[in-house]
Amino acid sequence: MNNLIRELRSERGWSQAELAQQLDVSRQTVNAIETGKYDPSLPLAFKIARLFGMPIEMIFVPEEE
Amino acid sequence: MPRLSQKQYEWRVLVAMALYTLCMLVEWPLVRAAGSLPLKCLLALVPVLPMIYVIMLMGRRIRDSDELERQTHLLGLGISTAVVGAVSLVGGFLSIANVLKLDGSILIWVFPGLMFCYGLARWQVARRYGVGTFCESDAGVAKYVRFVLAGGVLLLIAWICRSSLDDVQLGFLCGAGAGLVALGVVYIVLQRRRARVGE
Repeated sequence: MNNLIRELRSERGWSQAELAQQLDVSRQTVNAIETGKYDPSLPLAFKIARLFGMPIEMIFVPEEE
Repeated sequence: MPRLSQKQYEWRVLVAMALYTLCMLVEWPLVRAAGSLPLKCLLALVPVLPMIYVIMLMGRRIRDSDELERQTHLLGLGISTAVVGAVSLVGGFLSIANVLKLDGSILIWVFPGLMFCYGLARWQVARRYGVGTFCESDAGVAKYVRFVLAGGVLLLIAWICRSSLDDVQLGFLCGAGAGLVALGVVYIVLQRRRARVGE
């Protein structure tokens, strides 16, 4: 799953640690999501979407087969 | 219940493991000499208490983890359970077939085996996700403190039990203890040198 979290975070000038704090997860989890190594659970994905004020499908894009 | 930091968790595990080692060396030899059955049971089960505390700490740590950290813990535990279960099954069948002679005391290695496999499996799983073994920002107790502490505990045990240990056991404890303390000192020197270069 690809996502735009790194771009959205950079636009707001947040560090990974700051984003992690707002999402109540570790910085390494934010890093793993940004690099596409870990796909977040549905509740966490909704939390991310709510934080950035965007629909979930605008942030997470399935990889093309 | 507040979430334990990595450092708090490691200190508690270190203290519990030191207590366990002390029990095994000081209290365990008394088990065979105990007369009554209840006393023998009580003495035999004392070392289990610090280990139960460690298991409770692990459970608390997994409960308080975020979702990625919890996933690495649970995958590690699942893999280690499968490996230890499979090895136990193989050992059990070989023992029944009289190919391998195993007695009940082998059961004492199940938990350490499980923890060893869990550590290895979790390390591998965490690497796959591109994260360290600890998801928290603080990396836990400093490496040199761990070495000096572990070495100190071994030397203390050697000193306390010097009259009841044979030469090989005493030599092993003193050698391992001194080696760990020396390793800790090397780490301190390297860290100071790195800090000086950084300035």
